[in-house]
Amino acid sequence: MEADPVASDDESPSLLWGLDPVFSAFARLYIKDILEMRESCQVPGIYIFNSHPIFQVDVLGIVVFRREREDFFSYGVDDGTGVINCLCWKNDKWRDQDEPVKWDRTVGASGAFNVEEHVRKLQQAQRCRSTLEIGDLIRVRGSVKTFRGNREIMSSFYYKVNDPVMEVQISWMMELPKLYQKCYLKPFKLPSVTTESSSTDGSGACFPSLLGQASQTLKDFLKEKEVKRFRSYDVEHLLHPLIPQLSSKLEGEQASAAGPSVPTQLRQLLTETLQLLQQEGTIFRKIISPDQLYNVTEQDKDLHMLIRDIIREDSKLEKYAEKGCHVLHIQSSARQRYSQNLSREVLDVALKFLECNSDIISTTDYHYTVL
Amino acid sequence: MLPPPAPYFFPWEIRPGSQREGASVRTFGRLTSYFPEESKAVLSSQHASSQHQVQVQTGFVEPFNPIVGAQYIVLGELTSAEGGGVAVRARVFNCVDGVDVDLLQKAIRDQRSFFQETRNEPDVNCATTAV
Repeated sequence: MEADPVASDDESPSLLWGLDPVFSAFARLYIKDILEMRESCQVPGIYIFNSHPIFQVDVLGIVVFRREREDFFSYGVDDGTGVINCLCWKNDKWRDQDEPVKWDRTVGASGAFNVEEHVRKLQQAQRCRSTLEIGDLIRVRGSVKTFRGNREIMSSFYYKVNDPVMEVQISWMMELPKLYQKCYLKPFKLPSVTTESSSTDGSGACFPSLLGQASQTLKDFLKEKEVKRFRSYDVEHLLHPLIPQLSSKLEGEQASAAGPSVPTQLRQLLTETLQLLQQEGTIFRKIISPDQLYNVTEQDKDLHMLIRDIIREDSKLEKYAEKGCHVLHIQSSARQRYSQNLSREVLDVALKFLECNSDIISTTDYHYTVL
Repeated sequence: MLPPPAPYFFPWEIRPGSQREGASVRTFGRLTSYFPEESKAVLSSQHASSQHQVQVQTGFVEPFNPIVGAQYIVLGELTSAEGGGVAVRARVFNCVDGVDVDLLQKAIRDQRSFFQETRNEPDVNCATTAV
């Protein structure tokens, strides 16, 4: 039952368990397997059956043991392969079932539909379905627990199965081997996409998408050359090496299909990349004009000087004396004095840059001041 | 605290020497006679043109409403009976009249072959099925 180092090899990382459909389902396992499956070494309370992470099960069997407690029943369930204890909570409604059900006799006598009478009957039926004796057939769904060294099922749902001619039991017996072969006995294999990306994640900060690569290339270039402003055609050549890689991939898949030409792809990629960088606040356009001139936020000395001036001057005001200037105040001042087109993201990048240089100091998440 | 699991056995596999005494079993058959004063019942079934009888001790499940001629499922422990035979001391004795016996037998066989294929479990009944 305890995790041994050899067996842990077949355990996938817990982060990926959600990708296994068996994990979120109630697994219909033989009770023998529920009793014997290994507990995960990563997350206690999760069990591993044939590399599938499992915590919820669905069993059908004959009650061979029964014990009543104040708020639950403990049933021993036997499916022919094993016996497991199932904790079945009593419904709260039972507590007040002895209350006299008050209903109008005159209405009842007249033969009209009586809601209270029907509710009472329904409760009786429900109660009769959830109180079992030895020899009854029970179906239990719940989570697997280990309590004082014994496996048990904490039921979330259970009922007595009416099976006078064994139809349910026989179909269950015939279904389980098929379910095992189709599902539980097939080892959980991760889709290839996720394994690829996880391996690249491990090797370094490498983006899986082309757009990510392109924006990283541009950022590296802007930082390295300390570019203050540029036009889109200035950087187009940087993305060119990324394109052949893309088209060769496409050729493999759809050789005959006439895809977009390389210049078109390049322009599209560039547009998307610039858009992404603007959204991040890395670059911005001071003036929206047909001439597509981009300013680099971290290199825009005018903007930096302006922000410093705003904070220095306005921090003297009584309103901002205590905490410093609020971001929104800085933004609106900068918009008036520098560029109407200044977004919050750009301002955040600029403020962060200035703070890294110790030009300004943040007093709260949203307030800045200078010394 | 919990009793041991009772796997399915065919009635013709319940014979002296086939299983150790005290083993838990589950089997089926038609109730042909019941002796309340001795707490004894007899289940019989047809297999390969011969009649097989399983003796059942019903002390633990009484009182019950015996329907002679109906199909029953019995779950219990093997115990030695008078005359060198074996009997099943019943913990569960359910009337399942109307059960499709052929389908039940198929389901038991399917389950066994599944266990043998997938986990190389020794066939506990190979000695008896060979007969």
